[in-house]
This record gives sequence, C-alpha cells and structure tokens, in this order.
Amino acid sequence: MGLLLDFIIVGLSIGIVYGLVALGISLIFSGLDIVHFAHGEVYMIGAFLGIAIVSISGVPYFGALVGAMIVTGVVGVVIERVFYRRLTRGGGGYTVAGMGMIICGFGMSVALQNVAYLIWGAAPHPYPVSFGMPIFLGNIALPKSYLYILVSALILMVVLHTFLTRTKLGLAVRAVAYNKDTSYLMGVNVPVMISLIFGVACAMAAVAGVLIGPINYVQIEMGYLMLLKAFAAAVVGGFGSLPGALLGGVVVGLFETLCAGYLIASYKDIYAFLLLIVVLMVRPTGLLGIIVKVKA
Amino acid sequence: MLTIRSLQTGYGKVQILRGVDMTVPEGRIVALLGGNGTGKSTLLKAVSGLLPVWDGTIEFNGEEIQNRKPNVIVRRGLTQVTQGKDMYPAMTVEENLRIGAYTRSNRAEVAADMDKVYDYFPVLGERRRQLAATLSGGEVQMLVVGRGLMANPKLIMLDEPSSALAPRVVLDIFRNVKRINRNEGITILLVEQNVRMALLLAEYGYVIRDGVIHIEGDSRDLISDDNVRLAYLGGTVADAGAELAH
Repeated sequence: MGLLLDFIIVGLSIGIVYGLVALGISLIFSGLDIVHFAHGEVYMIGAFLGIAIVSISGVPYFGALVGAMIVTGVVGVVIERVFYRRLTRGGGGYTVAGMGMIICGFGMSVALQNVAYLIWGAAPHPYPVSFGMPIFLGNIALPKSYLYILVSALILMVVLHTFLTRTKLGLAVRAVAYNKDTSYLMGVNVPVMISLIFGVACAMAAVAGVLIGPINYVQIEMGYLMLLKAFAAAVVGGFGSLPGALLGGVVVGLFETLCAGYLIASYKDIYAFLLLIVVLMVRPTGLLGIIVKVKA
Repeated sequence: MLTIRSLQTGYGKVQILRGVDMTVPEGRIVALLGGNGTGKSTLLKAVSGLLPVWDGTIEFNGEEIQNRKPNVIVRRGLTQVTQGKDMYPAMTVEENLRIGAYTRSNRAEVAADMDKVYDYFPVLGERRRQLAATLSGGEVQMLVVGRGLMANPKLIMLDEPSSALAPRVVLDIFRNVKRINRNEGITILLVEQNVRMALLLAEYGYVIRDGVIHIEGDSRDLISDDNVRLAYLGGTVADAGAELAH
C-alpha cells in the first residue's frame, strides 16, 4: 500500500512535468500552427539556466524558477522572431509554413543542443540545491522536490487559467489562437501576440526543466526523451487542448511509473508510447480533444 | 468618408484588382456588388490592411491608410465585419463582443455599447453566456455585426451578411443594419452577392467585375438597369421591397 502511494506521488510529479512541456507544445500548436520540435531543447536550456541562476549566491530555488522562466521566455521570443517568423507568410502570419517550419524546428533542436554543449559541456550537472530532510507520510519518505513540483504546477495552472479567461490580454491570446486574420481586424496586434504565446510556452518548458533538475541530473541530451514523452502526453490529452496537455502528462506519468514499478522497470520508456498507441487506436482525438479544430 | 482611387492588388503575383475607384460618403449605405471571384473580398482585405496594396490610394477621414496594419486601421474607426464563420466558436457570446472592443479602454463606454448591441439583437442578450458555437446561422451573423459595433466605428464594412441565410433572417439583419446606420450615424459599406437584397438596403451601388468597377449608380437606377437585371436579378423586387418597408 505504501509502495503504491509512493508510485502515485512520483508518477503524478513526473506527469506534471511532462504536462508542462506538453502545455507549451499545445500552446504553440494552437496559437502558431507550428509543431515545435525544438521544445525539448528549450526545456533543457531552461534547466541549465536554472542552475546558472541558483549558483549565484543568495538566490533561492524559487528565484531560480522564476528567473529561468523569464530568461528562457526571452530566448524563445528571440528564436521565434529571428528564425521561425522568416518562414511564414510575409513574416506576419502563420498560415502557410508547413514542412519548412518542421525542418527548421529540428535544426533548431540540434543547434540549441550544440550551443548548450559549448557552454556547459557534455557531463551531467547535479542541481546545486538542497531541500533538507524528506517529509515523512507514515512510513513513506517523500523528497521535498516532489512537493515543489506539485505546488509550483498548481500555482502555474491557476495563474495561466486566470490569465486566459479573466484578462483582456488572455482573451486576445485565445482569439489569435483561433483566427489570426479576424483578430487582427479586431485591433489585436497579432505579431506581438504570437511572440507572447511563444515566450509563455518556452517559459513553461523552463519551469519543467528547473523542477525536474533536482530529481534527475541536468545534461544536454535530456530534451530528446522529454520531447517524445511530452508529445505522447499532448496527443493522449488531445492535441491543441491546454487542459488536455496537463491531463495527458499526468496520465502518461502515472502509467509509466506504475508499469515500471510493477512490471519491468528497465522498459520504463516504452510504456508511455504503448499508451500513446492504445489511445490513438481507441480514441484518436485524445482524451479531451473533442472539438477538432479545422484549419482553413 | 472613404475614397478609393485606382486601387491595385492581388495575391502573390496574381493581380485581382485592376484599378478600382469608389467613394463611400459619410452617413450613407453603399453597396459593392459582384459574383464569386470578382474581387469583393480582396478589396475589403486591402482596405482593412490584411492585404498589401500594390498601387493606388485609400483615403479614410482625410488620411491615407493604404498599407497600414489592420490593428492601426481599426483604431481610426474603420471596422470590417467578416462573414459569420469568423466568430470565435469556443468563446461565449459576451467574450466575442469583448474582443470586438479590444482597442477601447473605457470600461463604462464598452459596457454601454454592449447593452446597445443587446438592444439591437435581444437574442444575443439571452445567449450572452452561451458558447458562440451553439448559435444558429442568423444569430452568428448578428454576433459578428454586434462585434463590429463594439469597436465604436465610424464606418463598418459588412462582408456578405446574407450568405447562407434564409431571406427572412437576412431581412431582419438588414433592418437592424439600417437602424444602426440611422441611429448611430455609422457609415456602411455593404459587400454582397445577393444584389437584390443589397440594393433594397443601400442608396448607391457599385458593381465589380474582373477587378474593375463595371457599373455604378443609385440603387433605384441599378435595379431597373437592364444589364444589372440580366446579370444579377431574376424575378421582381417588389415583394421583397414591400416586406423591408415595414
């Protein structure tokens, strides 16, 4: 019983991290019509930036989280403005990008990995933070980093939801995600809004990177597997759906942790994709992907 | 209020408009008529800034606005009401209207205008918390007209409000467009394929064909013009006219 609870907490935490990356992928897909293949590398850069910030003496872990969010968000905006936007129609909209954009995403992924290699090297970096003693729930020892994941993710979700549903800017983001031309006609500055969406999505990936840092080591190839898992999460939840991305992340995280715990642990990375295949067979739109957005 | 001079534009290398001249005087309702693929929507896109202008000028309120960004043009008071399918289905009716008022910051004025929209289209008020996806075709058309009003415009360009709607619903919408024109003093440029309906509402009409203005004139003259009648009108207009009158 204690073991099961342990697996659930670990799976939930890992799943939330998948969900955060998937959230960014979904946000970029619904907002910009790009399937962003370099998002795993953005997550990796975010994790490294978190280490860099937390290594400055006196900066707490939470400060590193916020700092990495902001810096990675800015990096994302620069990447989008300098590279991706050139491929789009007239440099203003995102209607016809297609294959060029996908190739560019892959290229960006390789480029970012090598930039990270030049700066931080190939060796795994431990996160230089200590959370102190684990919390004991009965006879289970729960490292505080898991608690950080749960609390941060909860705060982030509430903030994002409030932003999207309660503020005028959030309304504009949703409008741009649905129809860029119409939103432009309503007076929304669509090019700026696209940058904002991309920046927020990258900031989200940075949070995931900083949160998972203390559990795993941080190294330049960590983005690859995360991208695949986050894609699985996004598809399981319903591609393009924001609540679906988080839900998909949690489902994938729980499923793979439980399977690894009770079945064969060394197959851990297979279970997520097994789930993906099953979901695609049974419910191709994903769990929450009820409304299929038809692109004109 | 809106003066277009020898406007040329197109998509990529394909030229659509080959020098369009037209004028929309302040406070009037003017119709731009033409069939599919004649350049009506292209003209609207060029005026509202979605499409770059190759040559010619567009003057609005004494200011040249060609090749300005759409979000700048809408702030000048020129709003395009797109076809009904361009509403936001996953947002509520009220959110759709709020997006229409995106350029405005005075909350009290926006709230007052929202009440005004519900006044013109009471059914929208009843459905304000519903998702726009649940509205009928006619209600969606009302929603996009209302959304256009929320920008507090001086001129509204209406893109085919009659498309795919029953005549009775179109009449109802046209009646409200006329009320909006009269009560709010908003100038209307009505772009229509449904020539007969459009000429009942508008005072002056331009017929566009192959990217140039083919015929223009007072609505009364256009309705009785043999060319227009042959090309675009079948049957009589008397019955529909009687219905719009009351």
